[in-house]
Amino acid sequence: MWEFRDKVSVAGVGYSKLSRRPAETLATLTANAVDAALADAGLTRSDLDGIATSPSMPRYGGLRGATEGIDVVTPWHLSELLHVTEQINWTGSTNGMVTQSFIEGAMAIAAGVCNHVIVYRALHVPEGRYINFDSQYAVGPEQFTAPFGFSMPPAWAAVIMRRYFELYGYSREDFARFIADNRANTCLNPNGYWRDKPMVREDYLAARMIADPMSILDCDIPVDGACALLLTSTERARDLRQPPAFLSGFAASTYPHPTGTVMTLETLWEGCEQTARRLWETSGLGPQDLDNAHLYDGFSIFVPLWLEGLGIVPRGEGMAFLRDGHGALGGKLPINTGGGALGEGRLHGMSHLAEAVLQVTGRAGARQVPGAKRAVATISNGLVKATAFIFSGGS
Amino acid sequence: MVEEADTEILRPLPYPDELTEGFWAGVRAHRLSIQRCARCRHWNHVPTIACYKCAGEDLAYEPVSGRGTVHSWTELIDSPGPGFRDMLPVIVGIIELEEQERLYLTTNLLNVDAGRLKLGMPVEVTYEQVTPECVLPQFQPVT
Repeated sequence: MWEFRDKVSVAGVGYSKLSRRPAETLATLTANAVDAALADAGLTRSDLDGIATSPSMPRYGGLRGATEGIDVVTPWHLSELLHVTEQINWTGSTNGMVTQSFIEGAMAIAAGVCNHVIVYRALHVPEGRYINFDSQYAVGPEQFTAPFGFSMPPAWAAVIMRRYFELYGYSREDFARFIADNRANTCLNPNGYWRDKPMVREDYLAARMIADPMSILDCDIPVDGACALLLTSTERARDLRQPPAFLSGFAASTYPHPTGTVMTLETLWEGCEQTARRLWETSGLGPQDLDNAHLYDGFSIFVPLWLEGLGIVPRGEGMAFLRDGHGALGGKLPINTGGGALGEGRLHGMSHLAEAVLQVTGRAGARQVPGAKRAVATISNGLVKATAFIFSGGS
Repeated sequence: MVEEADTEILRPLPYPDELTEGFWAGVRAHRLSIQRCARCRHWNHVPTIACYKCAGEDLAYEPVSGRGTVHSWTELIDSPGPGFRDMLPVIVGIIELEEQERLYLTTNLLNVDAGRLKLGMPVEVTYEQVTPECVLPQFQPVT
C-alpha cells in the first residue's frame, strides 16, 4: 500500500466557462479556472508554489503547430500570466495525459517540495475540422494507417465497439440508455456543455454515424476551456475552506499498444486490468469499496471496458450493467455523474477527477450521490499513459 | 460548395523510409512480406528497429501467405480526410495474419458488404494500384 495514502488531498476545484469558440483566449480561460480553484480552497495566487499540466494540442493530420496562449498554455506561460514566477518551486509538464501530471503533483506534495500545487488542463477547439488528414503523404507509423482512412480516433474506437458487439451480441440499442442517462446527469451540472440539451434514447439511435458503429454521440464534445485542481497535504487541507478529498491511491498504465493496428479490444482489457491491479495495491481497496465511478468516456465504449477491467463486472458484462441502468444516478454504482467528457466536455480526464472530488466531499449539488465517500476515476483507455485514482471523503 | 481546381485530391500515400521500404517494395511486386527476427523468428509489423519480442535488431522481410482472418472492422461514414470524400463508405479491417497470433495488419476490406462481415472470416490479400508508383495491400474474403 502507498505510504502516503490519504496524506495528499484535493482542496479546490475550479472551472472556466466551457464553450466553443469563445471571445476569450485560452490563456484567460486557464487563469479563470486556476483562480476559481484557489478561491474554492480559500487561497490566493500568492500561496501557489507548484504548477503542472500536459500542454498538448491534439490534432490528427494537417497542420500541427501550437501557439502559446491560444492552442496551449504551458506551466511556464501560466506562471507569468499569474505573476507567480518568483514563488514557483516546481513545474511539471508531461508528454502523457494530464493526469500523469496530477500524480507528479501529488508526489511533489508528498516529497515536501511544494505546499500548494495547481494541476490543470486547458483545451482549445481549433479552426476547421479537428480531424482531417489533409497531407498528401503519410509518414512514420501513419503510413500503415492513414492510406486506408484509419487516421481518425473515432474509427479506432469503432473497431473496439464492433468486436465487443459481435462477441457478446450487443448493439447500439443496448448502449442507448447509458448515453441518455449520461445526458440527464449533464443537465444537473452547471458546468456541463450540453446542460441545456436533454436527449432521449431515440436521439442516440438516430445520431449521425462517424465510423459505424460509432456515432457523433459516442464521441466527447471538444470545448474551449480549462479545469484546475488544487493539491495540498491533507493536514493543510483540513484548515482550508472545503472538506478535503483524500487521494487514496493511484495507478499508471505501462501496457503497450498492439502493433499493426492502433488498439484492440483484448489489449484494452489487459491494460485496464493491469491499471486496476496497481490501483487496488496502492489503495488497499477493491471494487466493492466504491460508491461512485468516473470512467473515461473520450469514446463511449471505454466505459464498459473500464467497468470490466476494474473487476466491477466480468468481461462482456459491462454493457449489460449499463443497459440495465446500474450506472445511472440512483443505480448500484452511479457513473460519470457530471456528464463526463461526452456531456460536460473534453478535458482529458480532469473533469472526471473533479467530479470524483465533488462527490466524495458532498459538493455535487443536484447530482450528489447520497453519502458518497469513495470514488474511482479512470483516464484514457487502459494502455500506456492511462491512469486511475481513488478519492475518499470523510474523516 | 465552390468547385476546387480540377487536380484530383488523393488519399494519403505511404511515404516509405529506410525501415519500411522493404515492405512497400514487396507490395509493389504484389508480394506481402513482413519483417522477421533472425534470432527469435518473431514476425514484426509495423516495421521496427528492434524485435517487439526479443529486441533483436537483425530483422529482414520474409514473404507471408497473405491469408488471415477478420479481427474487427469499421465502416467509415465521415471522411477522415479530403482524399476519401468521394470513396465513402470505406471499410477498414483489422486483419490477423495466419502466421502468428496478434500479427495485425490494418487495410481496407474490398469486395464485400459490411453487413456480411463476421469476426474470424477468412480473408486474403489483394493489391490496389492507387497511382502509377503506389500499390496498397488490401484484403477481401477468400474466393
